[in-house]
Amino acid sequence: MKRRTFVAAAASLPAVGILSGAARAQSREIRMIESGGASGDSIQVGYIDPLKAKTGINVVRESPSSLGKLRALVESGQTSTTLFELGSSVMVQAKKLGLIEKIDWDAVKPAAMFPEAKNEYGFGYQYFSTIMAWKAGQKEPKSWAEFFDTKAFPGKRCLPDYPHYCLGFAAQAAGVPIDKLFPLDVDLAFKKLNEIKKDVSVWWKAGAQPPQLLKDNEVQYVICWSGRVVGDPAFGMNFAGGKADLSYFGIVKNSKPEDKAAAYKLMHEMSLPENQAKAAGVISYTGPSPELDALLPKDKLWQFPTSKQNKAVQYFEDAEWWAANGEAVNKKWEAFKLSL
Amino acid sequence: MSDIRLEGVTRRYGTVAAADNVDLAVAQGEFVTILGPSGSGKTTLLSLIAGLNRPTAGRIFIGGRDVTEATAQERNIGLVFQSYALFPHMTVLENVLFPLGVRKITGAPARARALEALKLVRLEGLQDRRPSQLSGGQQQRVALARAIVFKPDILLLDEPLGALDRKLREDLQVELKQLQRTLGVTTLLVTHDQEEALSLSDRIMVLNHGKTQQVAAPTEAYLRPANRFVAEFLGIANFVGLDGGRTGVVRPERVRLGPVGVDGGRSARVVEAVYLGQMVRYHLALEGGEGAPIVAAAPFVGKAWQAGEPVAVSWDAADIWPVA
Amino acid sequence: MNLSSRSTGFSFIAPLLVLMVVAFNLPILYMLGLAFWEKGQGFTLDHYRGLAEAPVYLRVLGNTMRISLIATIANVAIGYPLAHWMRGLPNRARLIAIALVVLPFWVSILVRTYAWIVVLGNGGLVNRSLQWLGLTDAPVQFLYNELGVTIGMANVLLPFLVLPLFAAMIRIDDRLLQAAASLGAPPRTIFWKVYFPLTLPALAAGALLVFILCLGFYVTPAILGGGRVPMISNLLDTLINQIPRWEQASAISTILLLVTLLIFAAYRRLDRKASA
Repeated sequence: MKRRTFVAAAASLPAVGILSGAARAQSREIRMIESGGASGDSIQVGYIDPLKAKTGINVVRESPSSLGKLRALVESGQTSTTLFELGSSVMVQAKKLGLIEKIDWDAVKPAAMFPEAKNEYGFGYQYFSTIMAWKAGQKEPKSWAEFFDTKAFPGKRCLPDYPHYCLGFAAQAAGVPIDKLFPLDVDLAFKKLNEIKKDVSVWWKAGAQPPQLLKDNEVQYVICWSGRVVGDPAFGMNFAGGKADLSYFGIVKNSKPEDKAAAYKLMHEMSLPENQAKAAGVISYTGPSPELDALLPKDKLWQFPTSKQNKAVQYFEDAEWWAANGEAVNKKWEAFKLSL
Repeated sequence: MSDIRLEGVTRRYGTVAAADNVDLAVAQGEFVTILGPSGSGKTTLLSLIAGLNRPTAGRIFIGGRDVTEATAQERNIGLVFQSYALFPHMTVLENVLFPLGVRKITGAPARARALEALKLVRLEGLQDRRPSQLSGGQQQRVALARAIVFKPDILLLDEPLGALDRKLREDLQVELKQLQRTLGVTTLLVTHDQEEALSLSDRIMVLNHGKTQQVAAPTEAYLRPANRFVAEFLGIANFVGLDGGRTGVVRPERVRLGPVGVDGGRSARVVEAVYLGQMVRYHLALEGGEGAPIVAAAPFVGKAWQAGEPVAVSWDAADIWPVA
Repeated sequence: MNLSSRSTGFSFIAPLLVLMVVAFNLPILYMLGLAFWEKGQGFTLDHYRGLAEAPVYLRVLGNTMRISLIATIANVAIGYPLAHWMRGLPNRARLIAIALVVLPFWVSILVRTYAWIVVLGNGGLVNRSLQWLGLTDAPVQFLYNELGVTIGMANVLLPFLVLPLFAAMIRIDDRLLQAAASLGAPPRTIFWKVYFPLTLPALAAGALLVFILCLGFYVTPAILGGGRVPMISNLLDTLINQIPRWEQASAISTILLLVTLLIFAAYRRLDRKASA
């Protein structure tokens, strides 16, 4: 008996519920697991509240989300959670592991969306950027080559403790053009990281660390998420060569049809630019509508990942490449960390 | 072996003097007991001699050497506690070897001496046990062996038998006395048990509130107590009025009882008769009700006075010792 | 009689035992079993072979043990004298000292960890004081290195060492030490031959506890180590939540568990020898 069969047997009770449930029915309440913090609040304000006003359907939020949690959820056979927030490469992993289901886009009936946001397995609902930032008053780098040049731009650095948030920038600093990043030259990127590792004081795990370290003057230059630094005069930042990321919502495998129907209704709300504008008022990350710029305050357009001027200078990672190479890269990353 | 001399030894805690200007001379090989109720300062005095504590004033001499400022480990004293104070992580033999090791005596000679000491306290064959595997009496013997194995100048015993039951205590008293005589070591014992003091010691020192009350041979202290406190603390005392408002003490066994009207004496009534085996102790109320009740002790030879019986009470003038 | 009363007792705790086995041990067994299983392939040792071929994960494990050992030694170096000092305090001061030692238990580990940043950071209290006193020109780098991790872990874990040690120390009868002194032992001998051996079982148990807790530390190394001190639990987090390679994580966890059990077995052996 295979392990999965055992797990499925344990889940047979809810399975009976699926068979007997009416296919066209729609739940009054569903659950989602999202990444939490201000991002979660923006989902509430931007999408859940409008959905509830229109249809009466409520969505209960839980956080945080991690691939491990999703895997445990599916393998234990539970069906109470329908929507799960996933990063782009994590979504590819989840698809490979069979943890999420295809989205019925006909049921979603979305408004116009950027093509990368309309994935077979995921609804790209929130763009965020990983960019360079510095303490106001520091000499301002214009490119990754300059950011990595610790002689011309002296100061301590704080970099993410995640290979997929570091290597693309290091490769650019080593001279790889932004449109030729993938397949990633991992060794070249590590070579560049090795050059500046002695100037890196902190490798951060939590997104709140880099702005705090800048304020404490522990470091002068950081790589961090744009939403953590925009709009604060204490920081300078540059989207050039930044990494644009898209957070997706996926449908948890084995969800009940009536829950899925409700989830598609929420996705429809997520596709509407007026709702995305509300969400962007809570956190300076943006939704997938190409018409969103018109609804955002003009003086703040420079802050958002998808504003025309910003989206043009950033790159998207190749999620498939990461899904295939993630573990091998991680081993190199651990070895690199041991050399610090 | 050495003598001990205390000169005006005082130890104050705040305003309270636990030892108050105490003088004492213990001759070489002598066995002296410091006797007093709890809180009388006897243990303080012992710890001052042992060097676990420093006197506020006065000098202490051991073997003629002024050790007042010397630390405990410089004094070469064998000390035995009521709680045994054996090292629980060492075997019996290791415990006894400890003072030898400190004195750089090791190997076969040390082992021979330790076994010899264990033999003296009759613990042959138990050297590999842990203290926790021994009875209380055996543990106290180990403590004794440990205290004598390095041939200390003096031996200090702090209520060494206090934690043992009565039978065992009496056996060990005999052994202790024999051991002390065999070794000829100058010994100071601290106890609150007057029987122990009377049976073991060459001399006793009675202490109260840190002050010396009397230093004398046991019989001397018993029959001729220096004051009321000593008289009452050592056994039972009948206080009788003397001429000139003075008080004298008569010991119970010196009180004679007889039939009323035969040999004279004062008439009294037996309040209670307590059988103590070989002896009977009588509590008597004098006729007329004046004065304290009298206690008499008489050998039990078939017949005894019963409670309620009238008796005649008398004593010789020579058996009265004036105390104040 | 004795036997039957014992079996009655067993029937009382049996439900609890079953709960323990089902709720606690089964998931662990499942987790350990993962490493020997591959979908569509059945039993396999590939995940362990993977570890042997790419020893970087084992090196992280080795690094974790090294840091844990350093933190444990630091803990002992601070905790032993602290417990000893507390033993000598009068009763009231002792209570205050215990409260101060236990206090960190009541504060979230995250708060405590960030508090160290305020104290030891480049612009922190210590560095500002040092510079104000003119003792240093540039800030001393306390944080974001192994020193920071060691300080943080020692702080968090100190009560685990100090409390059992203190309890053992106050149980030592002063008269034992006086007896040793009266038998002619100088203070150094009294400490090493009497006092220290009597505290050794508690010291070993406390140090073992601290060491094992160190092995699983997550928050403190991540924040105070500035990500420069790779620890096995952070690696496991990556393998479980990001990549996800549960089988590999399981293999590493199994090795970690084995190492922990081995250390524990060694301790038991030592302890039994000492108390035999």
